[in-house]
Order: sequence, then structure tokens, then C-alpha cells
Amino acid sequence: MNPREEKVKIITEEFIENDEDADMGRQKRNSKVRRQPRKKQPPTALPKEMVSEESHLGNQPEPVQEEPKTHLLSMTVRRGPRSLPPIPSTSRTGFAEFSMRGRMREKLQAARSKAESALLQEIPTPRPRRLRSPSKKELETEFGTEPGKEVESTQQEIDSRSYSRVKFRDSARKIKPKPQVPPGFPSPEEAYNFFTFSFDPEPEESEEKPKARHRAGTNQEEEEGEEEEPPARGRGKEMDEEELLNGDDAEDFLLGLDHMADDFVAVRPADYESIHDRLQMETEMFFIPSRQTVPTYKKLPENVQPRFLEDEGLYTGVRPEVARTNQNIMENRLLMQDPERRWFGDDGRILALPNPIKPFPSRRPVLTQEQSIKAELETLYKKAVKYVHSSQHMIRSGDHPGNFQLDIDISGLIFTHHPCFSREHVLAAKLAQLYDQYLARHQRNKAKFLTDKLQALRNAVQTGVDPEKPHSSLDTIQKTINEYKSEIRQTRKFRDAEQEKDRTLLKTIIKVWKEMKSLREFQRFTNTPLKLVLRKEKVDQKADEEAYEAEIQAEISELLEEHTEEYAQKMEEYRTSLHQWKAWRKAQRAKKKKRKQAAEDHPDNEIEEPHPEEDLVKPTPPEPTDRAVIEHEVRERAAQSRRRPWEPTLVPELSLAGSVTPSDQCPRAEVSRREDVKKRSVYLKVLFNNKEVSRTVSRPLGADFRVHFGQIFNLQIVNWPESLTLQVYETIGHSSPTLLAEVFLPIPETTVVTGRAPIEEVEFSSNQHVTLDHEGVGSGVPFSFEADGSNQLILMTSGKVSHSVAWAVGENGIPLIPPLSQQNIGFRSALKRADAISSIGTSGLTDMKKLAKWAAESKLDPNDPNNAPLMQLISVATSGESYVPDFFRLEQLQQEFNFVSDQELNRSKRFRLLHLRSQEVPEFRNYKQVPVYDREIMEKVFQDYEKRLRDRSVIETKEHIDTHRAIVAKYLQQVRESVINRFLIAKQYFLLADMIVEEEVPNISILGLSLFKLAEQKRPLRPRRKGRKKVTAQNLSDGDIKLLVNIVRAYDIPVRKLAMSKFQQPSKSSRMFSEKRAASPSTHSPTHNADYPLGQVLVRPFVEVSFQRTVCHTTTAEGPNPSWNEELELPFKAPNGDYSTASLQSVKDIVFINIFDEVLHDVLEDDRERGSGIHTRIERHWLGCVKIPFSTIYFQARIDGTFKIDIPPVLLGYNKERNMILERGFDSVRSLSEGSYITLFITIEPQLVPGESIREKFESQEDEKLLQATEKFQAECALKFPNRQCLTTVIDISGKTVFITRYLKPLNPPQELLNVYPNNLQATAELVARYVSLIPFLPDTVSFGGICDLWSTSDQFLDLLAGDEEEHAVLLCNYFLSLGKKAWLLMGNAIPEGPTAYVLTWEQGHYLIWNPCSGHFYGQFDTFCPLKNVGCLIGPDNIWFNIQRYDSPLRINFDVTKPKLWKSFFSRSLPYPGLSSVQPEELIYQRSDKAAAAELQDRIEKILKEKIMDWRPRHLTRWNRYCTSTLRHFLPLLEKSQGEDVEDDHRAELLKQLGDYRFSGFPLHMPYSEVKPLIDAVYSTGVHNINVPNVEFALAVYIHPYPKNVLSVWIYVASLIRNR
Amino acid sequence: MATASPSVFLLMVNGQVESAQFPEYDDLYCKYCFVYGQDWAPTAGLEEGISQITSKSQDVRQALVWNFPIDVTFKSTNPYGWPQIVLSVYGPDVFGNDVVRGYGAVHVPFSPGRHKRTIPMFVPESTSKLQKFTSWFMGRRPEYTDPKVVAQGEGREALQKAVFSVHGLTSPRPLALGHIKGT
Repeated sequence: MNPREEKVKIITEEFIENDEDADMGRQKRNSKVRRQPRKKQPPTALPKEMVSEESHLGNQPEPVQEEPKTHLLSMTVRRGPRSLPPIPSTSRTGFAEFSMRGRMREKLQAARSKAESALLQEIPTPRPRRLRSPSKKELETEFGTEPGKEVESTQQEIDSRSYSRVKFRDSARKIKPKPQVPPGFPSPEEAYNFFTFSFDPEPEESEEKPKARHRAGTNQEEEEGEEEEPPARGRGKEMDEEELLNGDDAEDFLLGLDHMADDFVAVRPADYESIHDRLQMETEMFFIPSRQTVPTYKKLPENVQPRFLEDEGLYTGVRPEVARTNQNIMENRLLMQDPERRWFGDDGRILALPNPIKPFPSRRPVLTQEQSIKAELETLYKKAVKYVHSSQHMIRSGDHPGNFQLDIDISGLIFTHHPCFSREHVLAAKLAQLYDQYLARHQRNKAKFLTDKLQALRNAVQTGVDPEKPHSSLDTIQKTINEYKSEIRQTRKFRDAEQEKDRTLLKTIIKVWKEMKSLREFQRFTNTPLKLVLRKEKVDQKADEEAYEAEIQAEISELLEEHTEEYAQKMEEYRTSLHQWKAWRKAQRAKKKKRKQAAEDHPDNEIEEPHPEEDLVKPTPPEPTDRAVIEHEVRERAAQSRRRPWEPTLVPELSLAGSVTPSDQCPRAEVSRREDVKKRSVYLKVLFNNKEVSRTVSRPLGADFRVHFGQIFNLQIVNWPESLTLQVYETIGHSSPTLLAEVFLPIPETTVVTGRAPIEEVEFSSNQHVTLDHEGVGSGVPFSFEADGSNQLILMTSGKVSHSVAWAVGENGIPLIPPLSQQNIGFRSALKRADAISSIGTSGLTDMKKLAKWAAESKLDPNDPNNAPLMQLISVATSGESYVPDFFRLEQLQQEFNFVSDQELNRSKRFRLLHLRSQEVPEFRNYKQVPVYDREIMEKVFQDYEKRLRDRSVIETKEHIDTHRAIVAKYLQQVRESVINRFLIAKQYFLLADMIVEEEVPNISILGLSLFKLAEQKRPLRPRRKGRKKVTAQNLSDGDIKLLVNIVRAYDIPVRKLAMSKFQQPSKSSRMFSEKRAASPSTHSPTHNADYPLGQVLVRPFVEVSFQRTVCHTTTAEGPNPSWNEELELPFKAPNGDYSTASLQSVKDIVFINIFDEVLHDVLEDDRERGSGIHTRIERHWLGCVKIPFSTIYFQARIDGTFKIDIPPVLLGYNKERNMILERGFDSVRSLSEGSYITLFITIEPQLVPGESIREKFESQEDEKLLQATEKFQAECALKFPNRQCLTTVIDISGKTVFITRYLKPLNPPQELLNVYPNNLQATAELVARYVSLIPFLPDTVSFGGICDLWSTSDQFLDLLAGDEEEHAVLLCNYFLSLGKKAWLLMGNAIPEGPTAYVLTWEQGHYLIWNPCSGHFYGQFDTFCPLKNVGCLIGPDNIWFNIQRYDSPLRINFDVTKPKLWKSFFSRSLPYPGLSSVQPEELIYQRSDKAAAAELQDRIEKILKEKIMDWRPRHLTRWNRYCTSTLRHFLPLLEKSQGEDVEDDHRAELLKQLGDYRFSGFPLHMPYSEVKPLIDAVYSTGVHNINVPNVEFALAVYIHPYPKNVLSVWIYVASLIRNR
Repeated sequence: MATASPSVFLLMVNGQVESAQFPEYDDLYCKYCFVYGQDWAPTAGLEEGISQITSKSQDVRQALVWNFPIDVTFKSTNPYGWPQIVLSVYGPDVFGNDVVRGYGAVHVPFSPGRHKRTIPMFVPESTSKLQKFTSWFMGRRPEYTDPKVVAQGEGREALQKAVFSVHGLTSPRPLALGHIKGT
């Protein structure tokens, strides 16, 4: 950058800056700037320079002009500024009166005189520099050479040394007076400063300058002067700009510029900036925070002590580690930057989140260079570890070779009930149980304990009440006494309950014993040795009585006290309530007073008054009476629950001293019972972790139903015990043991070791039902002790196992307990802190409650993330459900890293857009350049999408007109979506071949051929066919794909009738003159005359191809059999620019190939001019069209063939009949089929690879054998004839594989159709075919995204009213079958559809091939049959594959009975299994709604009329109503006759009615699906293109409804031109 | 900021494909192209280019020096889909057929400044020995349907079975000047 540029830049940027300031502000600023120290400048100037590139963009045009000017100004005016002290700024109110120039002069004068005086001293310095090139001079002045310059400039005015300078000065002078606009006006001082100060081209220089000047000892003012310049310059610049607006001045100015440019170019050495300067500059510019530790008080608000949360016990987390110096630097910086100290926490440290860094990387370590892959992949030998248990509690054998031992001591088994118990046994057991209870109670002796406690409490109360103790305040005493009293009450209650229980227990024991005794007496034998002895303990009756009485008294007094207390309380309550009542009463009375008389009030009062009195009196008397009551109560209770003082203390003692009656003295039943008991034996199995580890010996059941085992099992275990179970088995005689019950033993705590373990009893019980035929009571069956059988009892087998389980102690006294880490692997993560285990013991780990308790006790910090899993575990456990999450969280810190909440994220339009795009929502699939900001995203972007979402349920009838079809469209959309979702994944599956182009595995022939080729002579001139390269639709864009349509030739185009030209004679007779060529439209065309000497009126056809609204046409050919041989190129544009396969497949566009006749009309109105000019108008008449869907082209890659032209049934003015002049008998070949044909070749350039069908298997309900057979069959067929279509299974609409013959079944056609021709089968067949063809055609590729071919059943098809060839063919075939024809589904290839389905029928003696989509039929030998080859035939019960040599229908034999020609699927080896059909029993047709059809008809007509008017925006469109109504009448006739044989009558009628018009028009016939195809069809005919001024139009629509809402649409479009 | 035109940021890339090390081959040329996301659009410069043929230097390094300049500017609204440069190197085989010698891709550097990148180059190998022979013989080596797939994610799973051989290294040197400024 040379200095000049630099300067300009500085100026402009200053300008910008200053521009913003108001004038006033500037004034102030100047003075401020002046006072600033010199140093500050570089930092401010430098950054601006950097930005300047941006900011001065707007000023770009100026610099060239400004530049010289500023120079000039600075030069001419610069007179000794150095010595000039800045004049203090004074506000000038009258500045406007001064002319700028005048003021400048003043200043200059003053400056000059001063400068001259100063000149002499300063002059020597610049001398050497001046020796350089003259062009440099000006610039050098800035660096201190001014004095020299000044000399020049002083002279300048006198002798005008250089022309340019004068010129410049002049211009400058002229400029100066201009800017007198007050608001942006600079003060004179500023202006002065601007002109007098030199500019600093570079900051470095200005840096240098002061130093130099300091050395020179220049005064302070100079520096100040320097400072002032930037704003001043800016000012001047602004001025200049304003100046420039003035035209003539600017011109003058520009003139000067040309000359000056050279003078101002400075060539200078590269600037050098010493490192020292740079450092200095940097120190000025940069802030380098110190590394010193910041004292805490600086970081905290004033007078705040640092607070350390951690010391207060709050969890703070581990801070990430940062080097101390870095922290200091950061703190210093923050303090400097942000004085609010927001960044510092209470503890005076920088706020920080806990360290998020995990101690271990979750990523696989990356291979370093040195380590080879081998080293990483090295295999290690590891001994196979036996998989012991599935749970994680496995103990690794590696760490602990020693086993652990669990000792299980099973001492015995006692049955508390057994089926073999006799009644006595039952009682004995009961007694024993009760006695046990008694013993247990006795041992605890709770009653005694409670009594003692009560006593103690009473004493305490006594002492507490003692008034002699003055030290404690009355309040506390009262309080404690109250507490004591309540406790006394409580304890007393408990004691009473206990005592009562004791007493009842004792009573029950005695009762049972008595029962037992009576039983023994009754049965006269004893079975049990049980004997109860009641020992009476004598007591001192008197003392006892006293104690008893004292007790009662104490109780009474206590109760009394209670009562009084209660009473006092009640009184208190009463008083307050009374008070309230009185107040209320008063208020009431006051109210009443107001309302009523005072006299009335009085009695009222007296009645009310006594009532509260009564209440008040009542509580007082109870005191004396109560005592007796209470005493009574207490005594009664005591009598009930307590032993009375005179009664002896009874101590029961149960002994086994009794003798059992020997068996021989017993009755028979008892004997058999005893024998039965003897037969029985019992053993126990020990199950460890649900596995049997050992069992006890089988011991016989004793008569007392006790079994003694006394066995100790030492379990050498490897696993941590999860469960320990004992199973009780009973064996009767020699039968197999039966499981009685399972006993679960608790796993001992680690502290329980052998020797210290107490014998424990675990109860068990079994629910088995046993009925015995002897004395035994059985189990689970009711029995009774009473004679009458009442009071029944049901007892279950139950018992107790006495055992002890303990950990064994090893030889050296170490308990053989699995170590902790192994015991709690399941909780290891949770219990990393081992203290948890040590404090609560291992078994506590399984006990959540205990764990929670421990957690609460040990005061775990719940906020510490280290404890998080534990806390979670506890919270889960204590909440009731013992649900331990079996997952772990992957990103626990996700919360911390969420920079925005989910809601906010969802609200963001941009994010939404990105999200939808990544989901491949169709609307957004190829959305390019998602805007950066939300505000740039238009709301309407989502509108379509949202509308679609909304509409999913709502049926929009507007677009579809017909509700039914709207529903169908919705349904199709839904099916499509589901299908697409289903195959989305499968579609993204790529094969290697999709990615890499590789030569196939060569076989010998190819290899040989290529070898041969190598040897072959090169013949460069010989053209060779090259295969086109296929392009995958990955990287295509608009314009890359073209559709090539090669139109070769046409046959049998309808020719004009002579009558056409005879409209002038509106009589029928005109048609007679067929030879007459009087006023033929082409009369004036000389070519016609030349070409057709015979005067034959022919056609001049041309072909127009329209695709995606692009239209191309061929040249005009002549004659009915034209040959164009032209290639038309049409661009193809994919929807939304999405060229993916899926998108291309769903392109619905159709290629219209229209054939027109070009008609020339003479428009010359004056015959006299005929000689001098030709005025003809070209009209084109539509003759017919061929429609080919793009999807067909896309899948076929190329379409080559001859197509039948779809010619309207009525083509007015054209003759469909064969020409009289036969062309050398060629017609005889085609005689079989009528109509016109066109030969086409269509392809896409470049060739696109069509999406492949899904390589996926579908689920199926077919028999597996059948499916295998189909696969085999298909493989065999494909092997023989790979190109022939062979179908065995298809996919139904729900995505299941279905065998194809299930689709074929006779189905009834609509009755209406059958009624039309009741006797003519052939006509009915045609009608049915026509009906089927009227169902709209919709290829599966379009509806299902080209993913697969789905077959819907006929009823689905009729419901959907859309389907492709298969559905049409299936329906037609089913109809034919029901009509009694022999019909087959024919799968093959046709043009233009490609693989398709036709229907083959056997008529008498010949075969007919039906095209189900068009309703046409062809004979087998019809050359124009679109079906080109036959793959297979499908009947209702079999499939036949064509194994003939040829597959053209012309050359094959359709006799399926010949196995040499047709390979059948079901044969002798695989007979037809009789598959049921998927089709419904019969089809139900509802009659179409005629009214709805009529309404639809009107709407379509209206829409089409509007459309035609839209297409003619520049012309007036008139509608001829008369003609329209005529046409409307005519259309139903056409429908009736199916568009045949009506032409002549129609023409006649039309001509009669519309005599004055030249008429051209035709009816169009289509099945109805939507409005759009109708519009397209009308558009493609080009009727609207007639631009004749007085043209009129006629349009009529007729809709004929067929059953099941199948609509046949006729549209008659015509244009009429009135003949003059 | 003008609201009418959407905000974008610009990424200016200039640099060069400096040299390559293909010890086995000589007389190679290279093609480069860019693969970028949906939000990216090139605004200036060439998106793809094909270099001159270069021969090995005669010194010890045996470097194939192209010094082939790259200069392209992208605009974008989203860092997602940051441009990648895809290089493919071609050269004649024994019979003089042009065959691919290497594919490689690298992201354009994310930070402004000078960057030097060295890309390992690889080619898909024939699936069988026989094919290897025929492809060698016929001069039709296996190659990607589109070189851009090396920078794309889709279809990678199909390449799992494929074998690649690393043939050499190229050193393109894209110099990115990130210029994140709304316009």
C-alpha cells in the first residue's frame, strides 16, 4: 500500500466517523482531542484502517478526486502550522455571515507571518530529502519539510510556478465558499485546522515524528496541532463532498486532477518498522494481565467475607484443574473487563462447573504409528471359564482359589400338624404351642416390666410435684409432669392389655388341657405323653390384697385427676363457647331490636337464657359421684385382667411324663393310624441357589411326629449364596417321595460363624389335601372334636425345622466368607464407598430399608454426583417398588451441555427446517440453503407441510370435486406413506456394484472375443454402436436430462374432406361435390397445387410434442402417410430439482404427442390485391394424440415402436375412411385394424438407471412348500428364458406375498351392463371391457414411489378407482370368467407400457387379446397389437410359462394343454391344492348418483371454460351458447354408441344448425380421475390457440355415470369462425 | 443488515495441489472436485478441475509435482456439509489406457490460514484374482461410479467387502480464508 492510498483511507474513515457527530459535538471533541497525550493515537488509528476496507465502500467513487484535492488544500494553505498555537475554540454565532474563504485568508495571513519567523530555524533539516524526485516533494512536506514547502507556497501566489497548482488552488478557492449549509458546517477553527495540518500517511511515521521533534526541541503546540488533524480532515472532506455536488466546480476540479496525478505519486522505500517501536506500540495496544495472585477482597463485593461452601458442608464438586498462573491471568483480566465481578463466586474464585472430564476415555485408544495393527489384534490365550451362574454374582475363581464354606446344621423337624395326627395329637400340638407361647411370655414378663415402669413413673410424678424443689421453673415442671402423666396413662393401658393376655393364655391352656383329658377319657387311650401340671404358688394374701388395693386406689386417683383435667378443659371450652354465644346473642338481640319491639324481645330473652345456665351447672356435680363410678370401673377391669389377691398364682408345667397306651389296647382305627405313621419317613433336601446340593438321610416319622436328623452339611461354595432352601420330602412305604413343603433359610450374616450360630426354627406348611381312612385327621380336610360334627376345623400340614446356618471357620480361624467385592457385584457401582458395607453388614445390601437408614444416618451428601446412583437406588427402594433400573445412563452430563431448552429448540424455525429436511419430508427433501436466522425463514415455507398434516384427516373436496375420489386420494396417500416408510431402509441399501464399476467375471467367450478384438484390424472409419453410459441419478441438476423424441413416420392420418372448404355453402349437397376444389383452403398455396395435381385434398400434418409445458414441433409434412424423421429435444425438470431415483419414479408428467393438420386460410379480403401479396393465416387442427407417461419412458429407458393414434371419434371435416387411392396394396396388411399409427422412438439422454425393485422378502401366509415351489419354478423359467416375464407370487396391498392364481375368480360384472345386450355375448364383453377401461389408470410406480408392484383385489380396485395394468386385467379377466368365457391373464411386454398384463380369451376358433386399460381387443394375428411378447398365462388354477421358441403373440400357440409349449406350475408331481381366492364372493355395485354426475359435469365445464379463457390472456374469448347446447345434446349419443358411426349424422346436424360458421372441433373421451388430466388434455389439443379475431368457442361436457362411480367423461371442444 | 438478501457466510479456498508421491507410477494427472452439503453453493471460482500431466522429478524424492491451483469461493448458511475436496489421480497403464491410480478426500480446513494436508490415495481392488488379471489386461480397473462417493457417507456399507490398496499420497494445500460476515 503506498502512502497515498493510505491517506485516502484515513480521510474517508475519519469522514465517516465524524459524519455521525453533530456539529456541536465536534467542537467539543476537538478540544478534547487536543488535550489527549500523543501516545494514544496509534491504537485508535490502526484498527480503523483495518475496517476501512469495508466502510469506505460507499465512498469509492470519490477517492480519486478527493485525493488531489486534499493534497492541494493542505499544500496551498499550509503556512507554518508548526509555530501556530491553536486558537481556543470559541463559539461563533455569526459564522454564517463570514465567507469561508475570508476566514481562511485571515487565518492564513496570521499563520504565514508566524511561520516565516519560525522558518529560519527549521529550514536545515529537510534539505537532503528534497534532492529526490520532484513528485515526492509534496509528500515529504508532511514529514517535517514544510518549512521548505512554505517558501514555495509563499511564492506560489505571486508567480504561479506551476500551472496545475494554480489551477488547484483556484478550484480549492472556488470550492471553499460553497459549503455554507448551517447544520453540517464546520467552525472556522476546524476548517483552519484542516487546512493547516499535515496528514500522517502512516501511523508509524507519526510515531516517529514526535520523537524526532522532541529531539529537535520543538514546542508542545506542534504536537497538539498534530492531534487535531484527524477530525479536521474529516470535516474538510465532508465539505468537499458537498462541493462535488455542484457540477461546474467539479468539472474544473477534475481538470486539475489529470495533471496533478503524476505530481503526487510518491516513490519511496519500503517502510520499516523497528522491533522496538513495534513492541512499544503493542504495549500500548494490548492489555496484558498480570500473573500476580489477585487478593480475594478485590474479587468480592465490598465488605464481604469469602464464604466457602464446602466448609459449610455443601457439596461443591471437583473443579477442573487449571494452572494457578492461568487462573490468575484470567482473574486479572476479568477484573479489568467486568468490574461487576459477576464471574466470581462467594468464595472469591471464578465460577466453575464441576469437572466434566471422565477419568477414563470412552473411546477406543487410537493406534499410534509405532504399534502395528497386529500388536493390537494379538490374541491372548485365556482359559475357558466355566459359566457357573447367569447372574453377576459369580465369584471369579482367579482371585480366590480357596472355596468358601457354609455350614448348614439341620437338627430336626417337628410337625405341628400332620395328616396322621389323631385328634389327641391335634390338641396336644395346640397345647404345646400354647405352652410355648406361655413360656415365651413368661420369659419376657412384659407385664412385670410395665408394672415396674408404671411405678417408677408414679414416683417421678410424685417427686416432680414436690414444691420443695425450687430450682426449676414452674413451667418446665408442669410440662414434665404432664408428659409423665400421659406416659403413665399409656403404660397403664399396655400393662392392662398384657396382663389380660397373660390371663387369657393361661385360661386357654387350661381349657385345652381339659379338652384333652376329656378326649382321652372318651377314646380310652392316650396317644401323647403330654401332661399338664398346674402348680399353685402360695402368696401372702394380706400383702397381696394391700398391693392390689393400693394399685386400684392409685389408678382411681389418676383417673380422677384425668377426669378433673378433662373437666377443666371442658369448662374452659364451655366458657369460651358461652362467651361466644353471648356475643352472638347480643348481636342477635340488637338486630331484633331494630326489627321488632323491645317488648317482644324480652320474653325471647328469658326463654333463651336458662339454657346456657343448665349447661354451666351440669359439669359441677360429677366429682363425688364419679369417684364411685370410676372405682367400680377400675375394680371390674382389675378383676378381669388381673389375678385376684385371694387367688393363688398358677404356673402351668407341661411334661411328657404321661404314658402312651400301647397299640394292642387301642381300637383298630387307631392301630392302623399308628402303623401308617410308622410307614412314613421324612428327609430334607438342601438346595443352594436353586440347585440340590445334598440331602439328609431318610428318617422314619416318630409317633410324636418329630424327626431328628442332627446332620451338618458343609457347603463348599463358589457363588455368593442367593437362596438357601430346604425341601421336606415324605415317603410312605416304598412309594416315591412327595414334596411336602419348602423352607427358605435366611443367608447368614458375615458375622455368623460356626459355633456361634443359634439353632433357629423355621416354620413351614404345605397345602396338600390328605384324607385318611383311619383315626388320622388328615390334612386340608375339615374334622371336628364334637360328636355332632359342629365346630369344624381345617388344619394343614405344617411344621418346624430347626437348623442353624453359619459360615465355616477355616483352619487358621479365618471365616470362609466370600469377600465383599464379590458379594455385592450387583451393587458395586452404587457402593463404591466401602464404608456402607462395613457399617451395615453385607446382608444390609440386599435390604434396601437398612441401606436407606444407613444413608440417612451417615448423612450422605445427596448432591454429590458420586452418591447419585446410591441415592437413586435408595429412593427407588424406599418408594415401595423394589425396582432397580437395569440401564445405565450414557450421557449423565447432557443437562449441562444443553445450551437451550427443548421447547426453545423446537420453536426455532431454522432448527425445524433442518430437522424436517434430515427426516426427508417430501416438502423439504431438497431444500437448499436453509437461512441462518430465524427471521429470514418465511412462515409460508411450512404452510404446505402444515396444511398437509392438517388435511390428513380432513377431506378436501375442492380439488377433487367428487368426494369419493377425494377419499380415495387420501387413502392412496396413506397407503403410499406406509409403504414408503416400510421400504425406506431397504432402499438405502447399496450393493458393491452401485458404488464400484468393475468388469464382470469374464467367461471364456468374452475373453476370447476380446482377445480376438485385440488382434482385429483397427478400422477407424467404421461406425460402431456404443452402449450408452448409464447415469445414476446422484449428481444431476436441472438441464442435465433431456427427453429425445424421434418422430419417424405416421400412417393413415385422417384426411380433410372436401366439404371442409365448403362451409360457405351450408347445404348437405355440398358434400356431393367431392371432386370440386373450388375454394379449398389451400388454393392459394402454390405447393399444394404443384403437389397434388389431381386436386386431392389431403392433410399437412405435423407433430407437436409437449412435455412439462414445453412444446416442440416438427416441420409440416404432407399426405396421410407422412414421414418426418425428426428428433425433438425436450428438457426435463425433476420436481423440486430432486433427481434421486425415488423422485424420478414418481414423476407423473405425461408426454403428449399431438398430430395436427396445418391449414392455410386466405385472409385477403380484397381480390384485387391478390396479385401483389399473399395473406394467409395458418390454422392448425388437432387430429389426435398419443400419450406416454414419463414413468414408462423412465423404466423402459427407450420406447421404440408404432403406436395407435388416439383419434377422437368425431373429427369434423376429416375423413377416417380409407383413401380411395390405395397405396400399392399396403393397406391390405393393416386391414385388420383401423385407425392411424405413428412410429416413434423416445428415450432419455443421458440414460438413467431406473430404481431397482426391492430386494426383500415379504412375509406371507402361503404354504411354505408352495413358496418353495414358486421359487424353484421361477428359477427354472429364468434360466431358460431370462427375458420372459414369469409371475407366481405378487404382493398384495398390505405387503404380503400372495400366490397369483388367488386373484382370479369369476366375478359378476354390473347387472346394468349385462342388461344392455342380453343376447349378444360379444357385445357384452366389449361393454364390460369398456367399463373396465373407464377406471382410471394410475401406475404403481407413481402411487407407491416405484418401490414395488402392489396388486389390489378387484373390490379394492373398484373402491380405489385407480390401478395399473394388473388390476385392470384381473378385473376384466374375472368378468370374462363370469361371463363364461375361457380367459387367462396374460403377462408379457407391450408397447409402450413395457411389462404389463393383458387378458387372453378363447372365442370360437380364435384367440382374442384384450388391452384392459383401453378396452380394445386384438386378434391373435393382428400386427398392430401392442402386445409384443408373451411371458406366461395365468388361469384361476394354474400358471403356464411360455417355453416356445418365440414369444411374439403372432408366432405362438396359445394351447396351454401342450406341455411342450407351456410349462405349467401345477402338474402331476405338484397337484393343485385348491387355493382359496383372495377376491370377494361377489362384487356389489351401487348405482351411480346421476345428480352428482350432473353437478360434476357442470363444474368441470365451468372450470374448463375458465381455463380456456386463462390460456388466452390477450384475446377475447366468446362462447357460442347455441353451439354448446347442440354439442351437449350430441355427447350422450356418442356415449351410447361408444363413439362410433355417428359422424355423418352429427356432421349433418351440426351443419344444419351452424350454417354460418366454420367449425372445427372434436369430442374427447376419458375416464374420470381428477380434473387436471382433463385440463391437460384440452390444453394439448391447442383449441385455444386460434387467434382469429372473431372466433367463438363452444365447450360441452358430458359425464356418463357407470355403476360404482365409474365416470366416463366426454368433452366437446370446438372453435367456430363465422363466415363472412 | 439488509433483510432482503439472506445472510450467508463466505468461504474462500485457494491453494494448490502441490505434489504427489506415487512410487510405482509416472505421468499422472489429477482431477479435483468439491463435495459439499445442501446449504452450500459455490459463488466464484472453479468447482472442479483437471490438471496437467506431470512426470516424476529426477531427484531422490521422485515427486510428481503439479502445483495445480485451486481457487473457489463458497457461500453457505450452515457449517454442516463443510466442503470436502476430492482428488482422483489418473495415469496410463502398461497399455496406455488411462486408469485411476488413487482417490482421496479431505475437508477444507476449518480455520483460516495456511494448511498443508497430505491425503493417502487408494483405489478399489478387483474382487478376484481372475478379474484382477482381466482388468489389468483390458485396462478397465475397478473404479468408483463417481469419485464423489469417497467423500459421501451413503453406500459405505456396500464397500465393506471391497479391498482397497493404497498407492500413494498427494499433497493438496487448500488455503482457506474463512470470512464469516453477513452480507
